[in-house]
Amino acid sequence: MKRFFSIPLVRGLVWFVVGLLAGAAIVTGIRAVMGLELFGTRGFTEPAWVFGGFVATLSFLAGHGVMSDWFKVWRGEEVSEHHEDPEGWLKYLGPSLDHKVIGIQYTITALLLLVVGGVFALIFRTELAFEGMQFLSMDQYNTLMSLHGMVMIVSILLGIAGLMNYLVPLLIGAQDMAFPRLNAFSYWIAVPAAILLLMSMPLGGVETGWTGYPPLSASLNKLGQQMFFLGVFVAGWSSILGGLNLIVTVVRMRAKGMVAFRMPIFAWASIATSLISLTATQLIGLSFQLVMFQRLFGMGFFDPAKGGNPVLFQHLFWFYSHPAVYVFILPGLGIISELLPVFARKPLFGYRWIAMSSLGIALVGFLVWAHHMFTSGMNEYLRVPFMYSTLLVAVPTGVKFFSWVGTIWRGKLQTSTPMLFVLGGIVVFLMGGLSGPPNATVSTDLHLHDTYWIVGHFHDTMFGGFVFPFFAALYFWFPKATGRRMNEKLGQLHFWLMTPSFFVLTLGMMRIGLLGMRRRIADYDPALGFEMSHIVLTIAAFLIALSVLIFLINLVQSIRNGEVATGNVWNSRSPEWQVPSPMPAHNYDQPFEVVGEPYDYGLAGSKYVEFIASAKSKH
Amino acid sequence: MTHTQDKSAAFGLGVVIFIYLAVLTALEFFVAVTFEAISILVVIALVKAALVMYYYMHIYQLNAENEGDENSYAFKTGTNRFGLWLFLLSDAFVFGGLLVMRFNLLAMTRPHLNQTLGLIVTAVLLISSFFMNRGETAMAHGDRKGFLRNTAITFVLGFIFLIGVVFVEWRLAAEEGLVASFGNTSVGPQGAVFYMMTGMHAFHVFTGLIFLALVWNNARKGSFSAERHWGVEAATIYWHFVDLVWIFFYPALYLIGKLS
Repeated sequence: MKRFFSIPLVRGLVWFVVGLLAGAAIVTGIRAVMGLELFGTRGFTEPAWVFGGFVATLSFLAGHGVMSDWFKVWRGEEVSEHHEDPEGWLKYLGPSLDHKVIGIQYTITALLLLVVGGVFALIFRTELAFEGMQFLSMDQYNTLMSLHGMVMIVSILLGIAGLMNYLVPLLIGAQDMAFPRLNAFSYWIAVPAAILLLMSMPLGGVETGWTGYPPLSASLNKLGQQMFFLGVFVAGWSSILGGLNLIVTVVRMRAKGMVAFRMPIFAWASIATSLISLTATQLIGLSFQLVMFQRLFGMGFFDPAKGGNPVLFQHLFWFYSHPAVYVFILPGLGIISELLPVFARKPLFGYRWIAMSSLGIALVGFLVWAHHMFTSGMNEYLRVPFMYSTLLVAVPTGVKFFSWVGTIWRGKLQTSTPMLFVLGGIVVFLMGGLSGPPNATVSTDLHLHDTYWIVGHFHDTMFGGFVFPFFAALYFWFPKATGRRMNEKLGQLHFWLMTPSFFVLTLGMMRIGLLGMRRRIADYDPALGFEMSHIVLTIAAFLIALSVLIFLINLVQSIRNGEVATGNVWNSRSPEWQVPSPMPAHNYDQPFEVVGEPYDYGLAGSKYVEFIASAKSKH
Repeated sequence: MTHTQDKSAAFGLGVVIFIYLAVLTALEFFVAVTFEAISILVVIALVKAALVMYYYMHIYQLNAENEGDENSYAFKTGTNRFGLWLFLLSDAFVFGGLLVMRFNLLAMTRPHLNQTLGLIVTAVLLISSFFMNRGETAMAHGDRKGFLRNTAITFVLGFIFLIGVVFVEWRLAAEEGLVASFGNTSVGPQGAVFYMMTGMHAFHVFTGLIFLALVWNNARKGSFSAERHWGVEAATIYWHFVDLVWIFFYPALYLIGKLS
């Protein structure tokens, strides 16, 4: 029993509860002194719960031990850069500083949240299959729908952080991230964030959709709304600090000879992503914080009755939340560019263009947010400039497609599982891309905005830009992390089950959207005649879930029983595949030097990296 | 140039920059109370910000060559410095968002605030920045006692600023009826904007004070030297950043716009 409580994660959770109660008790005490109401419908009052949640986050981090080194530094003690991790799986529950361990922690958490968010979707999808309300109340439907959105967003943020953490130091030849302790902190702060977010369910639910627009979100008398805002606010810090760490790592820690235009495309994509998450995330944090204060203190930022402006919220919110979709997709598009040449056995077409296109998407992405607000009643003169800036995003994205087609052209394609997911990602993202301009154009968006068309479009971009490449990356780098391969047959089954079902799902969504199915609603008019379509969509959704289940079974099985693969499984030029798998704790025993272009596959005599065999040892 | 001359030159530069900043602040106040030229106020704020960023926060050091081993203290300090500046960039987006909120909600009106009191707290914060610069300069030349003395003064001034804002300014504003705007509609969202902006800034002052206290305590124990004092540099840059934010918040809250 004592051993159980010495596991850092368990200790952190205990401290989370202690902090929650302590924080709530403090506020309740202050309220007692001020003569205010002491208890609300959910035990404590709303301010007590919110402050409790905040204290719980801090005490989780302190109790878990991820901040212990910092406490020592603050007291003026010396701390060592290198920690020894415990053997076996226990290291994944503790404050490891190794970027590979942290990358796997991120990835596992992302998969867990993917399952949670997916189950939410299945539940309300089943409710939608038949007209009329069957087994959910309207409140429950809204809560599931809202949390499906936000849980998936957090899952994606953790997923890309997992890929970037695991891969970037390996790809650029660094021993670790620039700030290993900050790296561990960025991961572990996401854990209380996820807990707070999910706590909103038992505490009354979230009824506003993932966007949480006031005045509704500010006036609903529901505690869950506050826990939702608090959870997202805390999760934002994970994203900000992770992005900061990544930029510094890529700028400062590259191997010898790795000039900017010899960096792997994934490093470029990570930089572009991190620039957005470093800066723009602050504004979703701020906008949610303002709504929280409006609820707690009655400050009327977004309350028209007090001179506030609800549209201001939407501007602050979308200033992050639009670029956020580029945060989600840029690493995935980077993965596609990274893997295509490996499986086409050809040089990547237009390396410089594709490197720059990631930055281009990121920068243009800062100028397009108000296209989410064409129907919001914002100033009309803003519509046209935002329409054009949005359409401009198609240019750097088109560059990527040209490059991919140019790389595939006359290549000798090898269709093992990662490549299937890469190709699937390209096709699905193309559908997402092509269904975008109608929403960017004001005249058509006014009709499409609140329909299922948008839902179909959005899921196409997320699957093409994140989910497919994410699976491709997991299949591709699994041998690097474990020294074993994932089962190829189950992988193929996963792909061939998921892809057609997904097409049925999103094309079906777009179709009924064009015919007038509104989004976000719990029920629909039987006279519209959509019931059959909804039944088909629900079946497709369950097939996708089944394919992901196959993937998860494959993953767990392969960790123990997969075919042993310690060599260069995919015949890649990338440095991490030039050393045996799994990767040793401190990465490369010998540093390497970049001597050629990264993606010159199939060119005789070309070389990307050369290991420096000198006795100077690793620093 | 000898070591002592070098040090006194650095101190002298700090004094000159402080005088520039003080004169500009006075000019800003004068412009605001006499002829309300917003463009001039914006230009003055930008000039002040540039002076602070260059001479007090030493932004040019980002460009410094960090020769040597990746494990050397100099290289790591360069990495840390880059990370800190990225953090400040990120934080600047919060304050930028608050400024957007202020001009969206209040447009060209300003809250009912005591302009004299505003000038006084601004002066206190500016003087604290001056002593912070002296403290860092002292440590960079190995003068630990000088660092401890100047940082202690900075801490006290920062504390006075915090008290001045939270316990004097907020109370006065409440008496003016700004708090009432939480509940009544007569003065619009002025109270919400004022308390949010000063509150967010005060929170940063508060964390800056904690940072200063930790660094002061570690310097007292002898953790820093002329060559190895990244902690001191970080606390200094952070403290100046808090001042930098106030360079924009002060005119936005106290000077720009007409009383509604």
